Amino acid sequence: MTLATRHPWLMLSMLVVPLLTLASPAWLRIAGVPPAWAPLWLLPWALVDGQRSGIVAGVCLGLLLDSLHPGPVSAIPALLLLGWWWGRIGHLGPPIERSLNLALLAMLGTLGLDLSLMAQWAWRSWSGLRGLEEATAARLALPGWHGSDLAAAGLQVLLSQLLLAAVLAPVLCSLLLLLLRRLQAASWRG
Amino acid sequence: MPASPWLRPGAVRSLFQVWPLLIGLGLLALVRLSKGAVILDAYAQLSRPFWPGTAQAEWLRSARRMEDQVKLAQLETENQRLRGLLQLQTVNPTRLSAPVISRVPGGWWQQLLLGKGSLEGVKVGQAVLAPGGLIGLVSSVTPTTATVTLLTDPTSRVGVWVARNRHHALLSGLGTSRPVVRFLEKDPQVQPGDVVFTSPASTLVPPNLPVGVVQSIDERADPAPEAVVQLIAPVDAVDWVQILVPR
Repeated sequence: MTLATRHPWLMLSMLVVPLLTLASPAWLRIAGVPPAWAPLWLLPWALVDGQRSGIVAGVCLGLLLDSLHPGPVSAIPALLLLGWWWGRIGHLGPPIERSLNLALLAMLGTLGLDLSLMAQWAWRSWSGLRGLEEATAARLALPGWHGSDLAAAGLQVLLSQLLLAAVLAPVLCSLLLLLLRRLQAASWRG
Repeated sequence: MPASPWLRPGAVRSLFQVWPLLIGLGLLALVRLSKGAVILDAYAQLSRPFWPGTAQAEWLRSARRMEDQVKLAQLETENQRLRGLLQLQTVNPTRLSAPVISRVPGGWWQQLLLGKGSLEGVKVGQAVLAPGGLIGLVSSVTPTTATVTLLTDPTSRVGVWVARNRHHALLSGLGTSRPVVRFLEKDPQVQPGDVVFTSPASTLVPPNLPVGVVQSIDERADPAPEAVVQLIAPVDAVDWVQILVPR
């Protein structure tokens, strides 16, 4: 947790994530779907700063992202787990430097985040529809992503964000990883 | 028995070292509870130099005239039906123009962020129009911004009717660019090209705002027929919208 404790101001860089989510330009979208920016920031941070810092950063990012939409599902569980997992990989395994590895990890993170949101929507749909088996009008009025929506548009969102993660991660995560490792090394020397 | 790594004195010391993080976490929780008011307002201020200009004004006026013509025909039909039968209380909301400062038409939440908020009288639930018709409802507001949930979002449900045959239905977002109209009757007698308006029976939106045009119909849908609707308003292209603010 060197970065989080010695350079807590660096965590402010996570504010870029909600700002990019709001401002993501049309040319960076696939079929109107913007990239999932959170895993792209969290991956290098957790790889460099470890599990605990990854967990804290994941929760903070989740809180920021959840504040941008009316809900009712949350990104916090997935980002918390990703922060822990990537922090564990960063500390226990050999240093990850290759762009391909970063892209693969970012894709897995995006997959985990999107599957977590899909699972929450599916659970809400199932629990909401269960009590309305006879009331047709009430079933139609129940808002949210349902099974057919998730299988069609949801899958499209998932695939689009996976593709965008694969394209963006080698560039963005590599640069961020390099920057954070230099800062960490400087703080150790100092 | 070895002590848990989380309970060692070193771990306790590091806990004291991370108190700024805990304070930060608390502040972020407040941001979450305020629905991102700080972030959204900060984004609005940061992006203010890039807000759309007024070059669309003439185009907006022209589109507005076309929209008015469609609405006029619809209103005349309805007026004839109601005249002599009901004494209706007229409600004429004012239209507040607002720039679109963030646009997410795809993804898990399909929404717009507008550059006007509660300081200008915008409230949750108000209808938002683009040239051509209704595009969504305000779902949250901060002092200087308003978030609009688009009609294409799967959480969107709006009561509509096909004015030609007065069959009521529910417009539901699917997460794609075209929502569906789910009818309540088994035989709605709707056909491609029919114009869909907001329902006079709806308590959420003002009546008879144009919404979209029926593209295709699935007669065999369960439990009732449904139709795919192409929205009239171009959500992907619009830079300015109008919020219906009651007087």
